[in-house]
Amino acid sequence: MPEELNLDYSLLTPEFCLAGLAALVFALDLFAPRFRKEWLPYLTAAGLVAILGLSFGWANKESDFAGLLSVDNYTTFFRVFFMATAAAVALASAQFVPARLRHPGEYYGLLVLSTIGAIYMAAARELLTAYISLELLSFSLYVLVSYAKFDPRSNEGGMKYMLLGAFSSALFLYGLSLIYGSAGSTFYADIASAYAGGTEEFDLGLLMGLVLVLAGLGFKVAAVPFHMWTPDAYEGAPLPITAYLSATSKAAGFALLLRLFSSAFLPVLDDWQWMFAALAALTMVLGNLVALQQHNIKRLLAYSSIGQVGYMLMAVAALSSATASALLLHLSGYVITNLAAFTCIIAWNNLTGKEEIADFRGMAERAPLLAASLTAALFSLAGMPLFAGFLTKFLLFQAVAEEGFLWLSVIAVVMSLVSLYYYLMVIKELYISQPEEPGRLPVPALVNGLAVALVVGVFYVGIFPRHLFEAAQEATKLLFA
Amino acid sequence: MEAVAQQIPLEHFLVLSAILFSLGVYGVLTRRNAVLILMSVELMLNAASINMVAFAAYAAPERAVVIGIVFAVFIITVAAAEVGLALAIILRVFRNRGTANVDEVDQLKW
Repeated sequence: MPEELNLDYSLLTPEFCLAGLAALVFALDLFAPRFRKEWLPYLTAAGLVAILGLSFGWANKESDFAGLLSVDNYTTFFRVFFMATAAAVALASAQFVPARLRHPGEYYGLLVLSTIGAIYMAAARELLTAYISLELLSFSLYVLVSYAKFDPRSNEGGMKYMLLGAFSSALFLYGLSLIYGSAGSTFYADIASAYAGGTEEFDLGLLMGLVLVLAGLGFKVAAVPFHMWTPDAYEGAPLPITAYLSATSKAAGFALLLRLFSSAFLPVLDDWQWMFAALAALTMVLGNLVALQQHNIKRLLAYSSIGQVGYMLMAVAALSSATASALLLHLSGYVITNLAAFTCIIAWNNLTGKEEIADFRGMAERAPLLAASLTAALFSLAGMPLFAGFLTKFLLFQAVAEEGFLWLSVIAVVMSLVSLYYYLMVIKELYISQPEEPGRLPVPALVNGLAVALVVGVFYVGIFPRHLFEAAQEATKLLFA
Repeated sequence: MEAVAQQIPLEHFLVLSAILFSLGVYGVLTRRNAVLILMSVELMLNAASINMVAFAAYAAPERAVVIGIVFAVFIITVAAAEVGLALAIILRVFRNRGTANVDEVDQLKW
């Protein structure tokens, strides 16, 4: 615990603005009957982009709020990351929400509130703060996943997600209590200094605490064997929320894991490194193999995202500043790619109401631009050269191999090849199969624009990664200082 | 606090919380009804609270005592919010499906 508390509330301005934006969205929906509900997504996205710009004001500054929250480059990186993701999801929901869901105000408000939780998960440097932020994100997501009130599938997905989420939070909390007892503090810095001299004898409390924390966070990021909720929640949730789950909820889990394990538990590296390595290997293999036999596009992307989590866990197992910055780069590339894929899938679902892989046949004739964007995104997920996925995977696998985990990198490369098969099966439907009915579909210009912008992002990361990579390096530099 | 510490050692609290936690895990894994699963999760949360307060009273250094107690208060608050949210979702499932048993709610699989 720091001696002098720095209670400088101005450090938290972006999150105050986000809370204000959420309140504004709630209030407009509730008290302004004349306000056109179709404008809510654009208002939310505009607000998020404005606050995103504001948060650049804290770039290259290093400070903390009462020792609880860091405001440094790592936080700034994830502020920009999460707000950009939420803005893209809000825009992608613009047609979906009025057609399928009720109460748009709460939908966009919860989206903004969950962003605050995600940002504080990255910023937290104390266990209670980390836990509360985690629950802020999770609670918002429980509601959003079961948002389609009258759709039994959404209810079911929400219930499974919520029950397993509550169970995993309880595991996480019990682990935290053991670590508090063992280290005598909940501040990351104090935990690190408590273990700095190494533990003399076998510390059961610490080991049990680490196992439970890992299990709890493993549920949140959907690592095998804690992944059972993922396909159900992904399939049940409204489509834009599936996109949001695969992007923000995963990235936030990794943001928390990375700061926690690099600044609190680095001295006891030997105790947890093997756990992460084993989880990473299991997650990669199982996620990619089960994805092979999926026939629903949401479940396919759920299992493919589990496979991606395996690659990312590898970076935590081989923790060093090189793998940490490679992880941030891979996360960014993955999220841009996944949002591009989901934008196309949401648009197709809006126009045809279908989500089985077989229903995508002939998309190239009926909506050529969307089909091309979806193809680019899937190639990037598979890791084809020129696309973001190739470069970020290459840097990640290389960094992991250099830390002495060559066997993990080998599994990862083999599994990437396997993943190409199921992505190609989707692309085959898009381009080779004949469409059910002929004729172009009227895709709104905004959706086309969003898809093209995200695909440009995919190529940008894949061909000119320098800027993003430098930002990732700046962000992770302080973690290992 | 000193007087209590002389009579009851820390281990008693830890064993109590470990038993509660295990009962909770057992309940989550064996119960079919979603509401009972939720109750089992509450047991696990209470086990964590007991641990926090016991460690604060016995093991923590002077300046970290308050953390454990504040943590326990937050756990209680969050647990209350969690129950509210969870019951709302279970109620929706019950309205739409006529059951709250997790093994009968099985539209989504593989």
